[in-house]
Amino acid sequence: MNRLEATRIVVEVARDAPIVASLGHPAYDLFAAGDRPQNFYTWGSMGLASSIGLGIALARPDLRAFVLDGDGSLLMNLGSLATIGLLRPDNLVVVVMDNEEYATTGGQQTPTAHGADLAAAATAMGISAVTQARTANDLRAALAASRLIVAKVAESGPTGRPATDCVFLKQRFMAAIGNPEAATEGR
Amino acid sequence: MTETPAWAPAVCEGVYRAGIRDVVYVPDNPLSHVLCAFGGAYRDVRLLLATREEEAFGIAAGLYLGGRKPGVLLQSSGLGNSLNAITSLLIPYQIPVLMIVSMRGDAGEWNAAQVPMGRAVRAILDAIGVAHSTVESTAAAADTVRVAADTAFGTRIAGACLLPRRVTWQQGLTPGSDRRLP
Repeated sequence: MNRLEATRIVVEVARDAPIVASLGHPAYDLFAAGDRPQNFYTWGSMGLASSIGLGIALARPDLRAFVLDGDGSLLMNLGSLATIGLLRPDNLVVVVMDNEEYATTGGQQTPTAHGADLAAAATAMGISAVTQARTANDLRAALAASRLIVAKVAESGPTGRPATDCVFLKQRFMAAIGNPEAATEGR
Repeated sequence: MTETPAWAPAVCEGVYRAGIRDVVYVPDNPLSHVLCAFGGAYRDVRLLLATREEEAFGIAAGLYLGGRKPGVLLQSSGLGNSLNAITSLLIPYQIPVLMIVSMRGDAGEWNAAQVPMGRAVRAILDAIGVAHSTVESTAAAADTVRVAADTAFGTRIAGACLLPRRVTWQQGLTPGSDRRLP
């Protein structure tokens, strides 16, 4: 399973639910797998995708919030696992696309290439229902029940590039999930 | 914990009157009074602990995207931990958050390690385009906080409200007396 294939599965399962993507290749693949207004593409703030997803999940318990993170990105904000493990929102699904490299910056290996185990870390931090997925079938099954999934994926290369206007992306996202930004509406 | 000083519930009142019901925080000694005051009188304010200030801003951004008005409580040293989150998420996406910043390194400081960042806070906020105001007294606290929040959410520009040590010191204490010896 490569990352684009895994991303397509997440998009299919999410249907019209919000998906937050970490910057770089996870966001590019989300765009290629299907641009939709419920996609929140980050263009910076490396490491914070799971935190943003947590905030959306807490704000909107009526929605299921998905996160597409990377192994390098999550390693930049491991404390997020402790916070998610503390709060345990049942409507947050974090998918870590673990290709064992910093693909967006040229393919330097991450510690997961040498045994660092993000699924074990998530479990140790109190997140229930953590799964490691190596195949498409694993991933489909995990998406039905897991709170955090480490998807071991092959690097598939950059695929596309979403809109770069951050305010447009935010306003489109907020309207699509049913809480449009007040400033975009007259009264 | 000693008696809650009057400035703390005044800060809570300003936050609450601005419509903020979600507060993400990384603890700090003076801010512990604010957390206590929220816990006492404002039970519908959700207090969310983060492990690091940068993470707190990520959570706050998600709360805003989900339709909430978030506040973040942090010590000024935590601003240094947060610059990438503020400059590459909050500002370009115009995601407003009210920051309540408990100052270290200003008048009354005893710890030299806190001084460089404390001195730089306002210059950094100016440089990155975060509006800031300072709570000058207990009497002014509620209004200063509320106006800072209303401005941030109205303009969608992140705003900071600074709590200087001259306000957050407990009356009668001398500089350094907030040290908790092990």
